[in-house]
Amino acid sequence: MKTRLPIAICFIFGIFTLLQYFSKHPTLTAMYAEILDWMQIIFVFTLLVGVITIFKIHSGKISRKESNWPYSILTVLGIVVMAGLGFGYGTDYGSPFLWIFQNIQVPMQSTMFALLAFFVASAAYRGFRFRNKEAAVLLITAIIVMLGRVPLGHQISDLIPQTAEWIIDNPSTAAKRGILIGIGLGSITTALRVILGIERSYLGGRS
Amino acid sequence: MDLSRLDRRIIFLIIAVVVIVPMLFDITPEVQITKDTQQIFDAIDSLNAGDYIMVSFDFEAASFPEMRPLASVILNHAFEKDLKIVGLALFSEGTAIGYTLLEQIARNYNKTYGLDYVYLGFRPQYVSAILGMGESVIKVFPEDYLKQPLEIYTDFLGLDNYEDLPLLVSIADGSLPIHWADYANARYGQEVAVACAAVMVTAFKPYFESGQLIGPAAGVKGAAEYEKLLGYEGAAHRRLFTQSVVHLAIILLVIAANISAYVWRKK
Repeated sequence: MKTRLPIAICFIFGIFTLLQYFSKHPTLTAMYAEILDWMQIIFVFTLLVGVITIFKIHSGKISRKESNWPYSILTVLGIVVMAGLGFGYGTDYGSPFLWIFQNIQVPMQSTMFALLAFFVASAAYRGFRFRNKEAAVLLITAIIVMLGRVPLGHQISDLIPQTAEWIIDNPSTAAKRGILIGIGLGSITTALRVILGIERSYLGGRS
Repeated sequence: MDLSRLDRRIIFLIIAVVVIVPMLFDITPEVQITKDTQQIFDAIDSLNAGDYIMVSFDFEAASFPEMRPLASVILNHAFEKDLKIVGLALFSEGTAIGYTLLEQIARNYNKTYGLDYVYLGFRPQYVSAILGMGESVIKVFPEDYLKQPLEIYTDFLGLDNYEDLPLLVSIADGSLPIHWADYANARYGQEVAVACAAVMVTAFKPYFESGQLIGPAAGVKGAAEYEKLLGYEGAAHRRLFTQSVVHLAIILLVIAANISAYVWRKK
């Protein structure tokens, strides 16, 4: 019963969602809209699971005084303070919750993201080496695309942005398209395996 | 001295200098319009005054500096064209950012909330939100961001689902436009235009080539091109010079490291 019921639910909803795609019948459409509501409600519960997990992990780190445990205090405090402010004063425009978000979280996250430029520069400096033919192709391609994506490339020669565009439009897109088709076929296979009850790893056991 | 083994702190310092110094100069490089940016511009430009346009702020706080110029040009264009903007966010972090931007730009054009634009706010689980709006926007968003029932905005009652929406623009730093393509375009035939972070262009290219997505205006350069199409030089133009110098610096560093490594190998 413990496995049969979830498999049966999965089969019924999987088949229903698949079949209703081909029908515009008002009853099916209404049922489908209801299922979409359920999806959102279920998703909110997964957020709750996430929050509880974070609390469990970090409270454990704090009580055992593991390495960098003071950061865990900050993490827990951050969640408690923001949740408290959100529930206490709301999250509307002008609320303390939003003030902290706009004046602390946005600048901090932007700063962290901006650091990427430094790491990318350092990685490019060490990684792009003329070691063999393949590495040479990578190096030359990178230089052309980097120049072609800024106005400087156009100022040097119109050929640079044109070549950069060609590289992105052709070899790069062809490879990406191949990957996407592979992912698509894999997704269909996995979805069918789940709907038909062959793939059961989501139940916590082995497939 | 083997330059190929340069301490990374020196590289960081060089990058810091080439980022900061160009910002001190008011130089705006000449921008060439690419076909991608022209496509999204044309898609918005072809709409008539009073048409609905949905703008989804699908980005997080981290990429705000890159996404802000893109969001600004899209909103400027939409307000200039007197389109009725329906804003929303499918990432929680984009919610407040989107509303703030919309409010700021609306003020410049003397637009009124509820008449010229509304902001629906955020819904979790973007796949079901995208699919749900294909059936009924008001069912997914019974209230707007200001907690008002959507029915009170009579100017927006004509928007039932995607059938009433000529264009949707996803301003994204991640892969959300793919979900718009998969669920809004493939299932409901919704036209989806994209303004995205520069790094995401290659991920979306197959969708643009197949016509499932329109655009993109990508990164600071895309925003600068869009500014040029709108006839002004704004924040994106000012950042382009810095971007050019940083790209050049990285290229020169890579070349120097390769020459140095070659010379040391010969020795």
